[in-house]
Amino acid sequence: MANKAKSIVWGVRREGRTLWTRNAVKGISVRGERRKRDGRIEWRRWDPTKSKVAAALLRTSAEPSSLLPDPGSTCLYLGASSGGTVSHIHDFVCGADNHHCGQVVAVEISPRMVRDLVTLSDRRVGLVPVLGDARKPAQVAAFIRGKANWIHQDLSIADQAETFVKMATTFLSPGGIGLLSLKAASERSSEGDDNSRFQKAEQILRNSELVLLERIDLTGLEEQHVVFSCASSL
Amino acid sequence: MPVGRAMKIHFDWRLSRVVDDQDNIVDEIVWDGPMSPSGLAKRLLKIQQGRKLPEVITLAERFPDAEIDPLGSLSDPNWPKAEESDELFRRATLTLAKMGVAESSGDMDRRLDMLVSATLEARSSWTTSESRCIEWVGFFITEADLDSQRGEIPSAISSSQSIVEASEKLGVNPPKHLPSDSEWSSMVSHALAVTSSSDILEQLEVSIREMATLHVPSLSALLGPISAAKLVSLARGRERLARMPSGSLQVLGAHAAMAAHRRGAPPPKHGSVLFSMPQVNRSPRWVRGKIARYLAGKASIAVRVDHFDGETWGKSQIDEINGEIEAIKAKFPKPPKR
Repeated sequence: MANKAKSIVWGVRREGRTLWTRNAVKGISVRGERRKRDGRIEWRRWDPTKSKVAAALLRTSAEPSSLLPDPGSTCLYLGASSGGTVSHIHDFVCGADNHHCGQVVAVEISPRMVRDLVTLSDRRVGLVPVLGDARKPAQVAAFIRGKANWIHQDLSIADQAETFVKMATTFLSPGGIGLLSLKAASERSSEGDDNSRFQKAEQILRNSELVLLERIDLTGLEEQHVVFSCASSL
Repeated sequence: MPVGRAMKIHFDWRLSRVVDDQDNIVDEIVWDGPMSPSGLAKRLLKIQQGRKLPEVITLAERFPDAEIDPLGSLSDPNWPKAEESDELFRRATLTLAKMGVAESSGDMDRRLDMLVSATLEARSSWTTSESRCIEWVGFFITEADLDSQRGEIPSAISSSQSIVEASEKLGVNPPKHLPSDSEWSSMVSHALAVTSSSDILEQLEVSIREMATLHVPSLSALLGPISAAKLVSLARGRERLARMPSGSLQVLGAHAAMAAHRRGAPPPKHGSVLFSMPQVNRSPRWVRGKIARYLAGKASIAVRVDHFDGETWGKSQIDEINGEIEAIKAKFPKPPKR
């Protein structure tokens, strides 16, 4: 690997403007992304135009590693869709055959998406697919082994910020990190522009028990989206 | 039996425990059922649906004051880990997710939506192919009447050996220039595709009628099964349609016009499913709005009757509604003065 490659956390690298995760299932791409070998290690390209977490890593003004869970963490992913981003999180939180003993719980409400998620989880030990409503703590609690060190919410519903506050205060362990991907177009209000919707969400986060760390603008990688990074109080 | 204050019942799929306010364990039951993925999947489903596990019920009977934690063992810092059953848990979650995916095909809303969407797509491709077929045939067989014979043309081509035979079937003179053999074969295949997609469309509509009459019987009686199915599909489910205000139901199908209306344009008129009802679009223009509003109100009630297990509407209710529509028309026989 080129000299300018920089490790963010174990299993995540940045090379110039591209991100790579250490593939937990060698020889297989999840959605057609590039792979490359480096000795015995295989890296899988993490596309920031398809994954909001990857985009946030490139756009944050804080230390990128502060946005990611450590290997072996317990992670909760709300709105997993077909599992693109989830697979990268799994790459470094669990690793091949889950040798880090991590857990990534991926919640998704659409059966069509869960179908793909099941196929993905079949090969990835430590990844738990859950067909359920990501807004309801009781639908998720049975599957997670304890409080989560890291939560990411990516739901296209109204009241995303309120839901995030509810879920993060319920599930985040002290010192845990929460990321909220906010899509402007999903908010219900028909008045005001995207920015006013982001402001409103920001206010909700500020008034909550969570500590808002940064508002990361993804313009250029993912339009009409921002990622809020938060920490649990305590 | 000790009556502690603020006792709680914590549980997960494997273990249920009563703890007091000092985090001391008062009582516990370990699940000793069969350790199979499908057995465990059923237990996980039970928890997910908010139903109580048998052990939790037993503990709650033993300690009636203890409060059951709806989130299981999430808030218990001393909860024991069970790494030996990780593989079992993993297989159970996969089984449960697969069960959920399989369960989704029982959803009548989604089944109806598949039929409605398939019909829409089939119809739009049929319209294109059919008009091309007519143009193509008319281009050669210049004497055929493309309006009155339109329906016969595709089948006349697809069932003939040559274009001369086809013109005989249509009762007109053969073309001046004959298509080449391979050109003729292409015309026949194309015409076959048109006739077979007509059959597909017919079959699709038969299924929609059947399913809509079962799923939304009152709404189907009022608006006809095809329109009823379209409304359910546009609302993305019967429940959502039932919970919709009738003003929203009235404009379902007119998304573009409704979006424009929100930005200041006049309200939608023609795009909605309701407008395509003959009761509305065959009425004089000055009463259409009144009838559409009235019908939307009734349709809204009909779908609520269907969704919330009311008594399905019969002919008498429908006749009454149609009578009311006639009364509206009779009340406004002349256009308003400008």
